[in-house]
Amino acid sequence: MSTSAVRVRPSLGRARWIAAIVVFIVLAVIPLLLNDLTFFVQTVLAAVVVTGLSLFMGYAGQVSLGQSAFVAVGGLTVAALTVNLGLPPLLTLVLAPILGAAVAALIGWPLLRLRGHYLAFGTLAVLLIIQTVMATVPFLGGGIGIFGIPPLSIGPIVFSGQLPYAYLALAALAGAMAVAHNLVNSRFGRGIRALAGSESAAASSGVPVLRSKVVVFAVAGAFAGLAGGIGAFFTPFVSQDTYPPFTSFGYVIMAMVGGLGTLWGGVVGAVVLSLWLQLLSTLASLPGLPPTAGPILQYAGYGVVLVVFLLLLPRGIVPSVGDAVDRWATRRRLPPIPADEQEEERVDAR
Amino acid sequence: MQALLTYIISGLALAGSFALIGSGMVVVYRVTHVLNFAQGMLAVFGAMISYSLLGGMLPHGLAELVAVICCAVIGVAIGVIAIGKPGTPPMISLLITLGIGMIAQAVVIAIWGQDPVSPPGISGSIQILGVNLATQRLLVFLVALVTFALLSLFFARTDIGKALTAAAANPRAARLVGIHPLAMGLVAFAIAGALGGLAGVLIAPTTAVSVSSDLPLVLSGFAAAIFGGLRSPWMTFLGAVILGVVGQLVAAYGNGSYQTPIALLMMLVIMIVRAGRMATEEAK
Repeated sequence: MSTSAVRVRPSLGRARWIAAIVVFIVLAVIPLLLNDLTFFVQTVLAAVVVTGLSLFMGYAGQVSLGQSAFVAVGGLTVAALTVNLGLPPLLTLVLAPILGAAVAALIGWPLLRLRGHYLAFGTLAVLLIIQTVMATVPFLGGGIGIFGIPPLSIGPIVFSGQLPYAYLALAALAGAMAVAHNLVNSRFGRGIRALAGSESAAASSGVPVLRSKVVVFAVAGAFAGLAGGIGAFFTPFVSQDTYPPFTSFGYVIMAMVGGLGTLWGGVVGAVVLSLWLQLLSTLASLPGLPPTAGPILQYAGYGVVLVVFLLLLPRGIVPSVGDAVDRWATRRRLPPIPADEQEEERVDAR
Repeated sequence: MQALLTYIISGLALAGSFALIGSGMVVVYRVTHVLNFAQGMLAVFGAMISYSLLGGMLPHGLAELVAVICCAVIGVAIGVIAIGKPGTPPMISLLITLGIGMIAQAVVIAIWGQDPVSPPGISGSIQILGVNLATQRLLVFLVALVTFALLSLFFARTDIGKALTAAAANPRAARLVGIHPLAMGLVAFAIAGALGGLAGVLIAPTTAVSVSSDLPLVLSGFAAAIFGGLRSPWMTFLGAVILGVVGQLVAAYGNGSYQTPIALLMMLVIMIVRAGRMATEEAK
């Protein structure tokens, strides 16, 4: 990286901070204007999951089709421990991301030796195994599911109604993004960015490949676990059908649409895809359409977005828009960037 | 003893369908290095089309043949989208086929609905070593066996089969001798479409097929193909046999609901054990 880029960074950084704060203020106002917050909370929680998945897919260069597995771990932590063991709700919410990370690390250690298609199917297999376990082990719902999860409470304050959970979800999103930002901009982050470029080059520079991947996978697992935990309090019901593979594929689509390995990709992808699906389900409920219109439009909506984005905008919204803005800014301020530096920026997209 | 034999034979019958799905994935992977996630939907299409055609339009035999040909055409369409754009990495192609699979599900629901269908097949059953087996299931196993024999002959003996293998092994060198890798890829997708359709046509009479059969079919096919490293047809067949028989034994002597997880765990273990070898193979 040359000095010119360093010189640009401080002002850009401040602009980004301001933009981030504005976005979160807007997000914080939205719940006050809505009657039913289910869609809002689900979208924000999806953004938390996708922030982690995007980190993993972008930097480890691998696809996880089974991210719902760790959402399920978080949901089960809250549901099983509060309902079956009577633990305090706050404690289970703290445990949700911890167990999500622990399970991800435990599974990741053998699983992340796989690459590409093998890992994609391997993670999907993990999700299906967890679903079967949920359907058969009575402590985890045993096919019926776990009902009556108590509301979250901190001391005497009880989180009743939908609004507190909307803000809890937003706080989780802010936290996840802060962790992701600091992780990428640390010494460890330089290692995983090298990993995204070339695994063998990173390995020969002393980056522990498997361990780095497991750490990123565990961080993504923690985010998913946290989202699953908050989701369980919000619903308040958990069963094996709460975490279908279809939702898991949805996370991958959101990550691809938003842009892999970018801080805002998860949020943008989750919001864009959720709004798109909401639009389709509104269309499907128009009078005169057959009852199958709902599933038809949902399946087609997911599939068309995935195919169209992969073919036309494979890097996703955030990197493409970011590049356009950068090009516009540099054309005004600086001479064109030499080719080798553009190469470095492109690394983020993989 | 008799009970054990029953489970083994019904496991073998099940293996035929796993093998047919897996073979389609192997053909596409061999030639294009793309894993076709929509392979399960091809089988669903095969089942649905043959169901519609057998409902009074065409006689047995012809209806199944037309269904298989339709699936080959659908296979080519999938191929055009998945690998048609030059320079699409295999991982992106996998995700594209995932998206196509979802669109295919929408199409199937729109035309046939969400209920499982079971077109008529061969009725009756046959005694094998004192075990009663539905004739249709025996047919699935035999067709799978013949298909695999033809497939390995095709790859080893015919010009186009060799061209397919060449396009897979070294696309640049293949192009130098006049083989068009994209065309070969589309041929592979057509074969995979036909194999998927064949699987659907044969499975549906004994096991009703619906849109939601997609994921179990893809996973069982993939699990079988893993045994052959996604390349070897006969190892895929062996994998299918192991999966089928072990699955039946687990269902019989253990808990029926653990049948799928056991198959998935076997798949995971085999993948991880093979991972060392695959790393050297793929690190180019």
